[in-house]
Amino acid sequence: MSQSLRPYLQCVRSSLTAALSLSNFASQASERHNVPEIEAASSPEVILNPLTVSRNENERVYIEPSINSVRISIKIKQADEIEHILVHKFTRFLTQRAESFYILRRKPVKGYDITFLITNFHTEEMLKHKLVDFIIQFMEEVDKEISEMKLFLNARARFVAESFLTPFD
Amino acid sequence: MLLLDYQNVLIESLLRERVNGGATANIDQVVSDFDGVTFHISTPESKTKILVSLHIKCYKELVQYGAQSVLEREYGPYIVDPESGYDFSVLVDLEHLPEDQEGKDDLVRRISLLKRNAMAAPFEQAFDEFHQLEEEASKYTSESAPQGVTEGGNVRAIHYREEEAIYIKANYDRVTVIFSTVFREETDRIFGKVFLQEFVDARRRAIQNAPQVLFRNEAPLELQGIPGVDTSGSADIGYITFVLFPRHLTKQRREEVISHIQTFRDYFHYHIKASKAFIHSRMRKRTADFLQVLRRARPEAEEKERKTASGRTFRVQA
Amino acid sequence: MANINWRTINIDALDPDSPANFDVSSLTPAVAPVSTADVQNNAQQIRQLLRGGDNEGALQGALENPPYGADDKGKETHLATVTEILQSIRQSDMSPMLSRIYKAPGGTEALDVLMKYIYKGMAQAAPASNTRNLTPQATGFSQIHSRGGGEGGGQAMSVLLSWHEKLVEIAGPGSIVRVMSDRRTV
Repeated sequence: MSQSLRPYLQCVRSSLTAALSLSNFASQASERHNVPEIEAASSPEVILNPLTVSRNENERVYIEPSINSVRISIKIKQADEIEHILVHKFTRFLTQRAESFYILRRKPVKGYDITFLITNFHTEEMLKHKLVDFIIQFMEEVDKEISEMKLFLNARARFVAESFLTPFD
Repeated sequence: MLLLDYQNVLIESLLRERVNGGATANIDQVVSDFDGVTFHISTPESKTKILVSLHIKCYKELVQYGAQSVLEREYGPYIVDPESGYDFSVLVDLEHLPEDQEGKDDLVRRISLLKRNAMAAPFEQAFDEFHQLEEEASKYTSESAPQGVTEGGNVRAIHYREEEAIYIKANYDRVTVIFSTVFREETDRIFGKVFLQEFVDARRRAIQNAPQVLFRNEAPLELQGIPGVDTSGSADIGYITFVLFPRHLTKQRREEVISHIQTFRDYFHYHIKASKAFIHSRMRKRTADFLQVLRRARPEAEEKERKTASGRTFRVQA
Repeated sequence: MANINWRTINIDALDPDSPANFDVSSLTPAVAPVSTADVQNNAQQIRQLLRGGDNEGALQGALENPPYGADDKGKETHLATVTEILQSIRQSDMSPMLSRIYKAPGGTEALDVLMKYIYKGMAQAAPASNTRNLTPQATGFSQIHSRGGGEGGGQAMSVLLSWHEKLVEIAGPGSIVRVMSDRRTV
């Protein structure tokens, strides 16, 4: 792990641990409803101050806490247009499978690549520290995956080009 | 399978079986090939007479560039009048085959290369023109050469697909082959760029004798003033230029070079698609890993032993 | 008027009794308004301490009286002051200094304020990148992009990240919770 990545992930970890203190809270706006307050935004007093953790201007995490739900948005590093398209493809691939990821939001918050929405029902059902582990591991692996895919693409392109041109030699 | 074959494998295997004494039967088959080319293999008269017809979008253009003579050279006695709806037909009579095995194999090979041979005509013409120009140019020094010699021949355009074309131009010191290609979506375009960059670099790095490859989004200078060339400079269209040098144009190598360069467009797009498929399967794998991690967050549901009222245990059938 | 889609109107916003119109400012303890000039004066004094080599005094001074009542400009000025102090303190001095502040009277409050500034400092880098043009364009053929451009502000961020780490060690996750829940923003 690179030197600057560790404090970044550590900071995300402690911020998430603090933000994931959720309790059941029924909607004040409509009776018999229980909705994530951060999404409904119908009661300003239960929405807390958002936190931003950033490593640099292209890699950051935006945490929006509320009484019964937390929204975590991640901006993944994209150094060039290949990485941009790979990130786009990968996050799209994941969000299309949001159903099986439970905590994945189907649409990222504007300005970010992927968003998770954790509600009190998730923290009741699942172990909180493991959820945090998941987010951290996700952030680690996504970067690795993107750069590996890029390397693969370049390697394949090189091999393909050389194979085609060799018969001319 | 890295490089694409030049011949049509289906025609080849079918004919090989028949020619080598396989059971004769009625055939009526339409075979598709790259670039919207279709073949029709049929036995209209009797089981022993196999008719192979070719439909190619740009046949008119090919005839203009001398396809007729190339095809006559290759298929001579087998040519028959084209079947309706098709551009060119050859008829193989299984009862009048060449005597020796070599001749038979050669016939099968030739017919399976039907598309390649039809498309080869403009290349051959351009290569011939190059030799002619080279000879003429050798009479002059580079300064005093007349216009016609330095400028080179006309651009031969083959519109072999709906929106894509090959342009061939002969000069006294080279032959330029330009492919125009369309990228259907953003991903293709970016992947294509990565691939083409490697084509451009390969010559610098490993294969010094390869043709020079250039890539750009605007139509190259050679194509200026050619009707039907998209000059909008749209990023969806790419122009890939191969510069073939005299060493590629010798009589011994031209067969191979023509076959090979024809496959470029399909080879290129095939590998873009293959990379996309690989990346997709990789993402699938990675997603499964993520799900595994997330599943760990769920505490193990303890399976308690359940008992009936009478105290007997039972297991739920999974 | 005719082409207004009535279904998209948020009627809660029009109802004064709706929870959507809850007055959040009633949750905030009264804060005295601070003028930007005062903040700047304060910043001057703190810089003086900093120049005199008294980093700890400067930090303490900056955290003692956060300008909760100032306007955006005043808050920004104070943030710049705090960041400057943080950047001039060496990594090895962070933990001891934090422990001393923590033990001093009013230390927990001071560290909560510091936590607020760390998060605010990290949020600062955010707006710049939204305008960055990442849309793929025909950029010719340079596949080796300068990766340096993408790391903008990376240095300043890593300082804040180390501070954050040390601060959580000493003040605990509770201080992060207080950043989220305190309506007095810096």
